[in-house]
Amino acid sequence: MSGVALAEETATPLLRVENLAVEFDTYGGIVKAVRGVDFTVDQGKTLAIVGESGCGKSVTVQSMMGLIPMPPGRITSGSARLRGNEVLGRNRLDGKEIRGAEIGMIFQDPMTSLNPTMTIGDQIAEPLQIHKGFTYRQAFDEAIGLLEMSRIPEAAKRARQYPFEFSGGMLQRAMIAMAISCKPSILIADEPTTALDVTIQAQILDLMQDLQRETGMAIILITHDLGVVARMADEVAVMYAGKVVEHGSVDDVFYRSAHPYTLGLKEAMPTNDPTKQHELQPIEGSPPDLFAPPPGCGYCPRCPFAMQICDTRHPEDSFLKEQHFSRCWLHHEDSPSKPADLYFKDSDP
Amino acid sequence: MWLYVIKRLLQGIVTVWFIATATFFAMHNVPGDPLLNDRAVTEAIRANLEAKYGLDQPIGTQYLIYLRNLSQGDFGISFTQENREVNDIIREHFPVSAILGILAVVFAAAGGVLFGALTALYRNRLPDYIIMFLVILGISVPSFVVAALSQLTLVTLNSAVGTTVLPVAGWGTILHMLVPAMVLGLGTMAYLTRLMRSSMLEVISSDFVRTAKSKGVPPARIFAKHQLRNAILPVITVLGPAIAAITTGGFVVELVFAIPGLGRYFVQAVQQLDYTVIMGTTVFYGAFLVFMVIVVDVLYGFIDPRVRLE
Repeated sequence: MSGVALAEETATPLLRVENLAVEFDTYGGIVKAVRGVDFTVDQGKTLAIVGESGCGKSVTVQSMMGLIPMPPGRITSGSARLRGNEVLGRNRLDGKEIRGAEIGMIFQDPMTSLNPTMTIGDQIAEPLQIHKGFTYRQAFDEAIGLLEMSRIPEAAKRARQYPFEFSGGMLQRAMIAMAISCKPSILIADEPTTALDVTIQAQILDLMQDLQRETGMAIILITHDLGVVARMADEVAVMYAGKVVEHGSVDDVFYRSAHPYTLGLKEAMPTNDPTKQHELQPIEGSPPDLFAPPPGCGYCPRCPFAMQICDTRHPEDSFLKEQHFSRCWLHHEDSPSKPADLYFKDSDP
Repeated sequence: MWLYVIKRLLQGIVTVWFIATATFFAMHNVPGDPLLNDRAVTEAIRANLEAKYGLDQPIGTQYLIYLRNLSQGDFGISFTQENREVNDIIREHFPVSAILGILAVVFAAAGGVLFGALTALYRNRLPDYIIMFLVILGISVPSFVVAALSQLTLVTLNSAVGTTVLPVAGWGTILHMLVPAMVLGLGTMAYLTRLMRSSMLEVISSDFVRTAKSKGVPPARIFAKHQLRNAILPVITVLGPAIAAITTGGFVVELVFAIPGLGRYFVQAVQQLDYTVIMGTTVFYGAFLVFMVIVVDVLYGFIDPRVRLE
């Protein structure tokens, strides 16, 4: 289904995720955290997954990496194919470990994401010893090289230090060095700059971009910061209530937003452009209860353009053009008003 | 690091001095006189003792004499046993208590860490329920009951087999040590199991374990390198007091199993009001425990790098 299917004829993407659904058993009932997510990532490109807290962006990538505790978690459907090979629920691909070797991952809080009783160098060396069969000596020397690559000064000395002797930004650099140590084809960055100072954020993002250029890896960037998206992403997937509601190139999603939720996110973003008198417009209300997801569009109760059908039936994918789709009834041919008229009333698109 | 060790040792000396002082004044307020019991001591001996310890002097002077002897490592002469110095009693019998205690501590620590980690890994499944049930038993049943029950079990076992598989009491070979050490360490092991379980549960769900998984580290290596070492920190912290609990618990177990350890002399001395033996063994035990706590604290620094740089 989908525009993603259109692309299939041209080439197999590096990673294709289709119809991924994840549930969690809780005392309150079953939480349907991810309810059918599709996206693709191409070699050397950056896909940003954006959305508010609890929309399922982290669960999506963690389920791919096998990081969800099962039970209570459960992948109910879907597939994730790396170069055409299924990786979901699997640890190895062609005799090669997926985690660490094919896909590297960095996390939100570098302060707690590193082992406090192991030196930084040992932690970076660990995947090299496991996946590449390096001796401890070789792996440690390589770790020093990787720290240098991540622009940590005095890398040889730093490699012998422990996480508590590093600052937050330095730790995130070390995390990146660790995640790319085995030259993975994909780096997943789960809110990599959320816990860092703004100035450090920029440095970390620059570092990720430079390493991407050098190694040609793809990046899946999870964030709720649209500024980070604009700076880093080639493609954007906007998630809401466990579904991707809009997917397209960064320009399409920012300048030709197709889904009312994307529009709402943009309105809620502060700007420093003095020529624009822009008051922040929060999105009123809260996301739907994922214990009992609504039959229609999850955004319906908060959507200023909601129609009758939105409440009862879930919208189909509408392709505005190849590689840009939106799940919204406004794009249906029977919709009385066209999104473009509603969204861009008083400003040029 | 060395500065820290020296600082701790000096603090330890002050602690021991407090223990010595408290024991001294407590003993002097206990009614009775060891020299006035049935086994009457001759006037001459009495005079000698009085002269040596200044027993005819005011209490302040006695205290100073006591401290002076103590600082020279002289715990004095037993009031009730002929030709026995307290130092000799300690030298002969403390090694027995120490071996028993060390075995018990090793047993408690190894068992506690192992079972604690197991219960955490099998949380809310059968192994967890079984071990936690035994832990509750271990904590709530006093060691003398366990000691007697284990002797009963041994007797039954030995008579069923027909030979002595494990001796029921006494001292001498490694076989004599096993059961008393297990009984002695049981309560502490149960306590450490509970501690290790909660600490391990915290570590299992921690961010750095998730990171290790994302690196593709195999589960056995995650357990050994990432989980165990971090989860063990609280266990090391309480190991000092745990050693104290085991050594003091040793008095009872030594008595039940007829083991010629120091504990038995301590109990005897209290019954016979043997001043020097009571004070000597108390101060010695106190000093030993203070020293063990310092050793544990230094050990902690080797396991947790954050403690090292202070």
